[in-house]
Amino acid sequence: MNTGQIISGAGHTILIGWALIGNLFAATPKPFEVTQVTAVSTEEFNAIMAAQRPPQAASDVAVPDAPEVSPDSPDLSSQTDPATEQAQPETTENTPPDAAPDVAELTPLPEAEVEDTSPELQQPSEDVAALLPETSERPKQRPVERVAPEQVDPPEPDTAIDDVVREEVVPDEAAEVPQEETEATAPEAAATEIVTEAEQMAAAAVTRSLRPKTRPKAPKPAEEPAQPSAIEAALQAAQDNVTDTEPASRPTPSGPPLTGGEKDALRVAVQQCWNVGSLSTEALNTTVVVAVDMSEDSRPVPGSIRMIGSSGGSDTAARQAFETARRAIIRCGARGFSLPVEKYAHWQTIEMTFNPEKMRIK
Amino acid sequence: MMTRILTLLAALLLLALPPMATAQDGPLRIEITEGVIEPLPFAVPDFVAGDAASAEMSRNIARVIAADLVGTGLFREISQDAFISRVTSFSSPVQFADWKAINAQALITGAVDVDSTGKVVVRFRVWDVFAGKELENGLQLVGTTDGWRRIAHKVADQVYSRITGEGGYFDSRVVFVAETGPKGQRAKRLAIMDYDGANVKYLTDSANIVLAPRFSPTGDRILYTSYETGFPRVYLLDVASVSRRELENQVGTMSFAPRFSPDGRTVVYSLITGGNTDIYRMDIGSGASARLTSAPSIETAPSYSPDGSQIVFESDRSGSNHLYVMPAGGGEARRISSGKGQYGTPVWSPRGDYIAFTKQSKGRFHIGVMRTDGSEERLLTASFLDEGPTWAPNGRVIMFTRETQGAQGQARLYSVDITGRNLRQVSTATGASDPSWSPLQ
Amino acid sequence: MENTFIERGRTMKLMQKALILGAVLALAACTNPDRFDDTNNVDLNNGAGMAGSASDPTSPAYFQQTVGDRVLFPVNQHTLTAQAQQTLNGQANWLLTNTDYDALIEGHADERGTREYNVALGARRANSVHEYLISQGVPANRLRVVSYGKERPVEICSDEGCYAQNRRAVTVISIGPGV
Repeated sequence: MNTGQIISGAGHTILIGWALIGNLFAATPKPFEVTQVTAVSTEEFNAIMAAQRPPQAASDVAVPDAPEVSPDSPDLSSQTDPATEQAQPETTENTPPDAAPDVAELTPLPEAEVEDTSPELQQPSEDVAALLPETSERPKQRPVERVAPEQVDPPEPDTAIDDVVREEVVPDEAAEVPQEETEATAPEAAATEIVTEAEQMAAAAVTRSLRPKTRPKAPKPAEEPAQPSAIEAALQAAQDNVTDTEPASRPTPSGPPLTGGEKDALRVAVQQCWNVGSLSTEALNTTVVVAVDMSEDSRPVPGSIRMIGSSGGSDTAARQAFETARRAIIRCGARGFSLPVEKYAHWQTIEMTFNPEKMRIK
Repeated sequence: MMTRILTLLAALLLLALPPMATAQDGPLRIEITEGVIEPLPFAVPDFVAGDAASAEMSRNIARVIAADLVGTGLFREISQDAFISRVTSFSSPVQFADWKAINAQALITGAVDVDSTGKVVVRFRVWDVFAGKELENGLQLVGTTDGWRRIAHKVADQVYSRITGEGGYFDSRVVFVAETGPKGQRAKRLAIMDYDGANVKYLTDSANIVLAPRFSPTGDRILYTSYETGFPRVYLLDVASVSRRELENQVGTMSFAPRFSPDGRTVVYSLITGGNTDIYRMDIGSGASARLTSAPSIETAPSYSPDGSQIVFESDRSGSNHLYVMPAGGGEARRISSGKGQYGTPVWSPRGDYIAFTKQSKGRFHIGVMRTDGSEERLLTASFLDEGPTWAPNGRVIMFTRETQGAQGQARLYSVDITGRNLRQVSTATGASDPSWSPLQ
Repeated sequence: MENTFIERGRTMKLMQKALILGAVLALAACTNPDRFDDTNNVDLNNGAGMAGSASDPTSPAYFQQTVGDRVLFPVNQHTLTAQAQQTLNGQANWLLTNTDYDALIEGHADERGTREYNVALGARRANSVHEYLISQGVPANRLRVVSYGKERPVEICSDEGCYAQNRRAVTVISIGPGV
């Protein structure tokens, strides 16, 4: 055999041998996850994203569960409220199937005393975090995109506990124990309902449920800038283009006007309940101005909600838009908008302009 | 030092300003510009039955109403298991607290009775739970026991339009082609059904290929294309009697793609002669026809605007398929589609504001809408083969054909909201294609 | 050893013939005996007696298989390729020779298009064949055209190989004064 044959034979042997046993040395293929993905066209995806981006939807689902609200309290039906509260956990179990496990934890709440609610009120934030750990960061992204005054959006998970404590304190002064309990249940149901309905994109919306807790915090930032020099506060207010915030430390009934942050908190609060999903395309082109009188506990007086102006649509469309706006005010106002009571004179009457321009089909 | 004094002065000035501003103690003004989009939760308890005989119908009517609303994608039903209070009487007051507690924002209550003549009487009320009052007035509908579904659809239409402000579309029918058999030898027959798939009736047998049926504006007649003479020809069928006649029968020609004018008296269609396809119109009563386009290109799929003044159609005169609009009497056509791809099957919305179409692009098919001047083009779907959109009577929902690929491919009907959301299949027993939506009945 | 070879050779020849016969029969079956409208052609085109008449130049079977009863088109086109023209030349000759027969030219399209446009496109294709046959001397009164759009594909897979077969114009011959 000549060298050529030797080389050829060796080469062939190597090749065949590698082919046969080389796979033994190959790395085991990495396990790949099979995730459920809905194949969605680009257009459908864009449509969904466009529709989902505005809806920081989830939290507003929360709020409606809460309202047993002021309209009922003067009525006879308020006497039935304690009964309904006890029934309530069961109902929320059934409506959103995913709510069941969480609501079970809440069943003792109606019987719990005020002091006991505080630790349990912390649970919602923890549970939410547990349910959606990845999304806990999202609220920071959203606010940056949408809300200008950053005072309203401090890191929410941190403040959750603070806000909860704060919520507690105020009702304690008013001694409205039953109401407090219903408020406690609301955020819980919200979180779980969000999970039920969430599509993948809307998962981010869940974090919205934490927003209501920041509302009570609004007075705080108003006070904080007041503590540093008045000059800074004045300059900042001027920059905010808002009727100025003077140090809020003076407890006059008609105190200083609302800060930009407080107004934003109110706006955000109403937004969460402003559901334009069922508005006709014409009503989505209609802007309505709605006036509402507020009671001192920062709840709207439902009978006082009136339309004082509209533009851009027919009477029917305006009526549609008005009713949707009214629903938003009543639903989100049921727990109170947490407006500073010392500034009551400034928000005794509120005029809200509902402009759906941004919510139209783009 | 100077700067500090100036800063102090500026601060004092600024401090001085606000009190002057707040001296006018007007109402607080805020602007809400963003909201949420989510299905509106509603509850519809079983309607109250006047007697035991109506019990099942009462329940069924409530179920059809719920299905109609949920099917729009704009509403979410709250399950009856969650109800706190029961509605046992149509006239007893509503315990709003109970419905608020389960987050029902809208409540529909009703009652079903059978009167002495055997007719069904349905009363209903719609409640805005959080406002604590009725949404407009209650209504009473009377109909036959066989037509209970139509009554339910009419109630749902009322609920839908009161809450959304849109016109309803539930009391409507769809004519389509029911398909069976293998892809190479499809058996096709004309069929008509309620928009939700119920009450299917066949209008032809499967002996001949039938294509693209279209409802008249009053829903009493159907135009379609049939091969029963061996050549595609336009036929006019009367729905009530199922009798039909050929409209266009010149020897040596083929006709297809017919559509009614909004007044129901004229048919616009395509005629092929000498290998060339152009658009013609014919007066149904007299049979007199006129040619509307004369181009060596293919002109087809014409559709009238709802005011009858214009026609949108498909033409490949530019080298690729695009949409054109011309006056209803013929004349200069201007192109309205502008993207890359092939555009076809244009259909003018009954509201006159949009034109739906099929677009082929990069090997995929899409259903899309555009404004009547071609702007704001938006694609709503994408798949292997989507085509042939038709508008719901309220101009907010579109139904179309979707065919899957391969030898086992099948055609089915799908509907989608004009926003592109709520894409769902319309349930049909067999394959189905070429839907056409009737007006509200 | 050699005997087996010879035997194998004979068997091979027999098998070859059988194969050809089978192929011919199969091809005959491929020309869609379920043609819906032209009952005349159904009888003529089915498998019975195919093997014999395939070689008879006056038979429809011959027209279909040897002359070629169809031409194919590129995507969205209705122009005749050179090969198509060649086939059509054969068709014209056959029709001029066998004057008993009339022809119905069917135009078809693949499924990658909307329903109406495909009917129009099929008509264009049929018309191309129609005009060409006339230009080759076939009297117009023996020819008719119809379009089936995308309703009758011969190949039902969803890729180009099948689509190419469906983009066709088929000349269907029948005895008598037309369909």
